[in-house]
Amino acid sequence: MPPRRDNDFIDADSESDISILGDDDLDTRGGKGKGKAKAGDKRKRDKGKAKAKDAQAYTWEANYTRSWETVQEDEAGSLRSSVEDWMARGRRRRLLAPASAIRRTIIRHLVLLLDLSASMMDRDMRPTRFDLTLQYAREFITEWFDQNPLGQIGVVGMRAGLGERIGDMTGNPQDVLRAIADRHKLEPVGEPSLQNAIEMARSSMNHLPTHSSREILIIFGSLTTCDPGNIHDTLDSCIKNKIRISVVALAAEMKICRDICDKTGGQFGVALNDGHFKDLLFELVPPPAQRALSRAAGAGATNPAADLMMMGFPTRLPDTSPPSLCVCHSEIKSEGFLCPRCLAKVCDVPTDCDICGLMIVSSPHLARSYHHLFPVKSYNAVMAIDHAVDSAKGCHGCSRPFPVAVAANTSEGLSPVGRYRCPECHRDFCSDCDVFIHDVVHCCPGCGK
Amino acid sequence: MDNLRGSHLSLVIDMSPMQWHLSGEGPPTNAYPLTLDAFLSQLLAFLNSHVASKDENTLAVFGAFPGRSVMLYSSTDPAPNQQNINANSFPPFELVDSNIIRRISEEMEDLGEPEEEAPCALVGALTKALCHINRITLATSTTVNNPSGGPNSTNLPDPRILILSVSPDLSTSYIPIMNSIFSAQKLKVTIDVCQIYGSDTVFLQQAAHLTGGSYIFLDRRDALLQYLIMAFLSPPSIRKILSVPTQDKIDFRAACFCHKSIVDIGFVCSVCLSIFCQPVPVCSTCRTKFPFKTLQRLNASRPMPPSSNSNSARPRTDTPQLRTISSSELALSSGPMNGMTTTAPVGGLAGGSIVNKREPSTNGKIHEPPEAR
Repeated sequence: MPPRRDNDFIDADSESDISILGDDDLDTRGGKGKGKAKAGDKRKRDKGKAKAKDAQAYTWEANYTRSWETVQEDEAGSLRSSVEDWMARGRRRRLLAPASAIRRTIIRHLVLLLDLSASMMDRDMRPTRFDLTLQYAREFITEWFDQNPLGQIGVVGMRAGLGERIGDMTGNPQDVLRAIADRHKLEPVGEPSLQNAIEMARSSMNHLPTHSSREILIIFGSLTTCDPGNIHDTLDSCIKNKIRISVVALAAEMKICRDICDKTGGQFGVALNDGHFKDLLFELVPPPAQRALSRAAGAGATNPAADLMMMGFPTRLPDTSPPSLCVCHSEIKSEGFLCPRCLAKVCDVPTDCDICGLMIVSSPHLARSYHHLFPVKSYNAVMAIDHAVDSAKGCHGCSRPFPVAVAANTSEGLSPVGRYRCPECHRDFCSDCDVFIHDVVHCCPGCGK
Repeated sequence: MDNLRGSHLSLVIDMSPMQWHLSGEGPPTNAYPLTLDAFLSQLLAFLNSHVASKDENTLAVFGAFPGRSVMLYSSTDPAPNQQNINANSFPPFELVDSNIIRRISEEMEDLGEPEEEAPCALVGALTKALCHINRITLATSTTVNNPSGGPNSTNLPDPRILILSVSPDLSTSYIPIMNSIFSAQKLKVTIDVCQIYGSDTVFLQQAAHLTGGSYIFLDRRDALLQYLIMAFLSPPSIRKILSVPTQDKIDFRAACFCHKSIVDIGFVCSVCLSIFCQPVPVCSTCRTKFPFKTLQRLNASRPMPPSSNSNSARPRTDTPQLRTISSSELALSSGPMNGMTTTAPVGGLAGGSIVNKREPSTNGKIHEPPEAR
């Protein structure tokens, strides 16, 4: 069978790959990240997932399962119910992650390290590794800023044995995207140097406050690195500076890359094909769980990385307000934000007020991350309809009527009557709403929490 | 522009009996009273015009009652047959009107007379509206995949949510409302807000701003229908051409986690971004302990009456305590807003001055920048 390279197939594979990585406290991130996908195409992907499970392209990548035994025809001899079952189970699986709040770093600083060596011109990914990397990097940056609005990204390239600064550390997604917009400026050439590039990224993160995370994401297409010194010294200093390095390799696993990731607490993955490449990249979008620093420091010790910050929430002026000077550029303009403490007008948030030094952020920026802190409790599958308890006819979310028939063959975590009940408010929801509420809304319509 | 697409409107009505009672009270306190009955008759006229403007338009109505939220009407679900349809009425209108009125009166009777009114379940109604829209979009996208689907099924209704609110902000629902806003953004749903009675709501302002909708604070309540039709009848795709009134000022204040009060300067945990209205030694959300030095520093830098801050020379920075700042700011920001809306008469709205309202010059002195001197 010729290898199929389409998205549907990849999505099915990525989950098994996460478990190979064995990064147990990071496991929950997969589900969260995927939940960010639009609800519309999620359904499509789930369908693809179900299909792909039945027909794996590479048999050696799959766990050995007697897949034909799990497929069962229903009374009419159709496979439809089995396929639906697969879809629903795929949906439910991501909800089985622990509901307890994991401590996550939310103010993130990331340096994106792009391999710009000659090996990136390889055509094993269409059109080339380089073009695909740029395309995915753009998508990654957009999604990353969507989920980490207080984060900052810098871009460094590895080209001709040197580290090359492509974009400075900034919190504006447009600036980062502009830095990698022109592919002619990034034309791959020569050998990569991991050490030079990591040193450059490390030095650009030296000044950062301790409460923020420092991360490096390397997209590495080469199988060699050409370093001026001992890369293990660089690795040691990265460990000392608490920089988390993750590598997405496009060619094959290199010992040094694996070591770097393992020792700094990052993730390592080799992209099998273009869809898997994207999956690996997007695994790194949700904020990482924070390592238990206090455990090393001894119980009761205050976490030196944590701090309390004073922040102001501004008022936004419309474009129709009378123009006045802004304090940041001294330009006359109408729109702007008013510092709540000194009422100076600044052009953009988040920023520090130039007059009183107050950190001004827009509160929706902060609120974007709250669903990580207060996740909705996962719903329990209702096993049988209890007519004594006044059971609703329709889903409490979308008021679609529940199926009357009881599904004959169901597996763990699935409700035979298609109902999922909130443990707090005891309302019933359909499986679509269940997934939508946990992945997108993060708020139960019944209890309003 | 494809004229074949209908648009979907989800309406969320705030049905707090207490607030509606206040809204219906007479002139001494309330210049333009609007009773619930008058409101409903104007609202039904608006809904009828939505149904009438295009055959493909869909409608869902959700009610936020104290303590619970219900779906009052949905055009996608087959409505129960009405045996007593008036021969002189247009059946689709009759269906919408009678269903909504019947459901509202049922729910109102169910409420009974509780000792204390539970807070309005606006969040529940909002999330239900989102679930409903999600279901509609899911249904249409699967029929797109299915080649046997009907010719009309390829059209995704252009979804939007209109919130008619009469209650003030409920600060306990800050996080759920923000979560709903973000999911609306993801679904590309526009949220419009019409604040009919009471003060401006900070959260709904943000909701409209973040989803690209309009927020209108109703001043002439008796002219509700005019506002509704001029500003909220057109689907988002047409509004770019029409220049619908948008917000003048958006307040980005947040609710703190400790006392649920709305603050404009907060103390934020660097680990989980929880907001507190005063420096706390331990974060209540993630149990992080903060260094003692930071607490001392922040306590010292909190604005005190004769503050040691260098900017104490500036007017209005010498406010005594953080908590009082928030209340005084609240009064301050609502002052000009009310002044603004009285200057825009309703007649002008109908006469075509629906283009963005100008702010009065009274606002100018508030944000006079230091350089101007």
